[in-house]
Amino acid sequence: MEPQPHLRIRNLSVSYGAQEVLKNVSLDVPDRKITVIIGPSGCGKTTLLKSLNRLLDSVDGVRIEGHIFIDDEDIYDPRVEATHIRKKMGLLSQKPQVLPMSVFDNIAYGPKIHGLRDRKRLRVLVERELKAAGLWDEVKDRLHEPASRLSVGQQQRLCLARGLAVEPEIILGDEPTSALDPQSSRIVEQRLIALKSEYTVIVVTHILRQARRIADHLAFLYLGELVEHGPAAEFFANPRDPRTRAYLTGEIS
Amino acid sequence: MRRLKDLLARRAMFLLTAVPGLLVFLMLFGLLLRSRAILAFHSFTGLLFGSGWHPLKGEFGFLPFLAGTLWVTLVAMIIAVPVSLLTAVYLSEYAPRSVRELTKPVVDLLAGIPSVVYGVWGVLMVVPFVGKVLAPLFGVYSSGYSVLSGGIVLAIMVFPTIIHVALEVFSAVPHELRETSLSLGATTWETVKHVVLRKGLQGIFAAVVLGLSRAFGETMAVLMVVGNVARLPKSVFDPAYPLPALIANNYGEMMSIPRYDSALMFAALVLLLVVLVFNLGARFILVKIERKVE
Amino acid sequence: MRTFRRRKIEERIFKVLMLASTVVVTASLLVIVGTIVVKSLPALRLSMLVQTPKGGYYLGKEGGILNAIAGSLYLASGATLLAVLLSLPVVLYLNLYTRKSSVLAMFTRFSLDVLWGIPSIVYGAFGFIVMMTLGLRASLLAGIITVGLLEIPIMARAMDEVIRLVPPALKDASDSLGATKLETALKVVVKQALPGILTAVLIAFGRGIGDAASVLFTAGFTDSLPGSLLQPAATLPLAIFFQLGTPFPEVQQRAYASAAVLTLIILVISLVSRVLIKRFTRHTIK
Repeated sequence: MEPQPHLRIRNLSVSYGAQEVLKNVSLDVPDRKITVIIGPSGCGKTTLLKSLNRLLDSVDGVRIEGHIFIDDEDIYDPRVEATHIRKKMGLLSQKPQVLPMSVFDNIAYGPKIHGLRDRKRLRVLVERELKAAGLWDEVKDRLHEPASRLSVGQQQRLCLARGLAVEPEIILGDEPTSALDPQSSRIVEQRLIALKSEYTVIVVTHILRQARRIADHLAFLYLGELVEHGPAAEFFANPRDPRTRAYLTGEIS
Repeated sequence: MRRLKDLLARRAMFLLTAVPGLLVFLMLFGLLLRSRAILAFHSFTGLLFGSGWHPLKGEFGFLPFLAGTLWVTLVAMIIAVPVSLLTAVYLSEYAPRSVRELTKPVVDLLAGIPSVVYGVWGVLMVVPFVGKVLAPLFGVYSSGYSVLSGGIVLAIMVFPTIIHVALEVFSAVPHELRETSLSLGATTWETVKHVVLRKGLQGIFAAVVLGLSRAFGETMAVLMVVGNVARLPKSVFDPAYPLPALIANNYGEMMSIPRYDSALMFAALVLLLVVLVFNLGARFILVKIERKVE
Repeated sequence: MRTFRRRKIEERIFKVLMLASTVVVTASLLVIVGTIVVKSLPALRLSMLVQTPKGGYYLGKEGGILNAIAGSLYLASGATLLAVLLSLPVVLYLNLYTRKSSVLAMFTRFSLDVLWGIPSIVYGAFGFIVMMTLGLRASLLAGIITVGLLEIPIMARAMDEVIRLVPPALKDASDSLGATKLETALKVVVKQALPGILTAVLIAFGRGIGDAASVLFTAGFTDSLPGSLLQPAATLPLAIFFQLGTPFPEVQQRAYASAAVLTLIILVISLVSRVLIKRFTRHTIK
């Protein structure tokens, strides 16, 4: 019998006021694989992703029901510290969001907050993460420039490195390549594939070709409902639900 | 016909657009012209830094009044800046929407209250509070008409200005940037401290400067509670005599003493110059910060 | 885990400070309005609102402050009208005929910022100079001019903010229908921004009616109702100031009552502007 995956979503429903955005979603996210969530825009993909990170907490009028377990810990248990949950997940957003500080400080931001003060160890760590994101050679001479001066593609990889620096277990990508040129997109995709040997990766996208390129596992969301999910090969070759078939053939988008 | 009307309107509007610039220039020019009478007898710096004020003897030293203005403004800003910024942070980052919606009109109303009303309130509450409660607490005597009273009243008057601008600045910081910091495991406060405040630095700076320029020129409310004694204040419990109060208090007799009216116009000129320097300086620094942070 | 505890404590401390600050700010308004109302109750009567000061009023005898209420309303209305006539065309010109980065636009906006920051007492002094130059004496007209100038930057900056928000597509649509710029300005831009423009006007009116320092030199003071533009006019803020300055408690109480009246006027203005915004936003395109 396979061991239970670290991240399990159980009967998750989310609504903003009267509008129900996610309806009773249950999903096991396989460890150390890339799980891609696809679906037309407005289907609740981003909401699902943000609910994993408890980023919905601060939204006015949001109601969340159900459970999300990480290692048997329910992240919506009121006793659980949101910062502790968020640290376990690195988020890569649609547009790269560099913090208003230098390249170095962007990476060092998380570790510093979590108590790492030693300059030397910080330097080592920054170098390691920049290398992991494939950015070191490009920025090693510009570490103390404002991060906003990097190109958009570099910024997104910086964001990836920054997320890795707090040693998360899971990487969340919210259409992480949608603001990038094809060249930079490819680099980011390659990084994600390389990272799955150590991390569980969840990526939201509405680009089917991207899903085919990187996914090990797929989940299809439609109008807030989890229609179908399964291993990538099977999902593409043999979709069971008619709505999935319609989406794959481009009839609904 | 329509074209003609359009053309005429355009000309007229163009001419009117010159009004604001012209007005600044005219004010400078007019006040300078009127100050010439006094500047013919005393040097600019002699006036500013002279400490004797005896109009009847022809002695006009503005130092006590400058000091009074500085003291009161400083006290006001020391109170107003942290309170306003903390309130703005709370409203924009922590408060539930209902609280925010309830507090905003309060801030607007606070901004609308006329300065005489602030003054009346100051006389009724702040002056006795400072004189009978705070001063004895620190073991000093004070009538209550003091720098501190002026500073407290002024601080409240400045709240809405700073809060309003700061709220705008915070709402301009992208939501995703906050999420980024949060998702790295930062607390809301850490996100505010390292990201929101940093991103909004120049806007906050502008908010403080706006508050400052509102504070230092305020006349009636301060005049009613600071005591108006032309001496250098030694503590916040001493009375002071700010520059605007000097002008306002002496309009009646200024025509009867030689060069007195000119001295008061000079005081107005100094106020105007300070505003001008503030504005130019703020703009200069803003541009510099902008380059640094991007 | 130790650092985490420290982080939590820091956040909690600041949260308490923030809450306390918010309470201070909110309570200020309540305390100010509350104090004024409570203190004014003993002196607040209808007779105060409908009579002018009789002989010996400032010694505690009969009379009211109708002279000041009327004077303030006349003065602020005149000044606001003057300010609208001078501000609206400027703002329209800046937004429709110039680019944001043009020298004229930048210089004018900078001038408005400077004017906004100039203390009202300086306007008073400048108004005094204008008065002397024109050979006027302290009068309703001189007050209107001075307060009008004071209101220009307040009004123009507020108008600029709302007119800037009018979607450019709307202007383009009107232009492409063959409207002249003027027609676009009046029929489309002004109409679309009307609630904001009205609010700007009301804000400026409120500032005008409440300002004391600028009318001190220029409007003078009188116990009778304003007769003509060239005669002095009483104003509410000055009436408050003078009454408070007398040594008689009865008169000082009337100062509190007058302050309550002025505060009420301001509250009504702010309420009206809120209602106006609600009412008018229905007709504008989001």
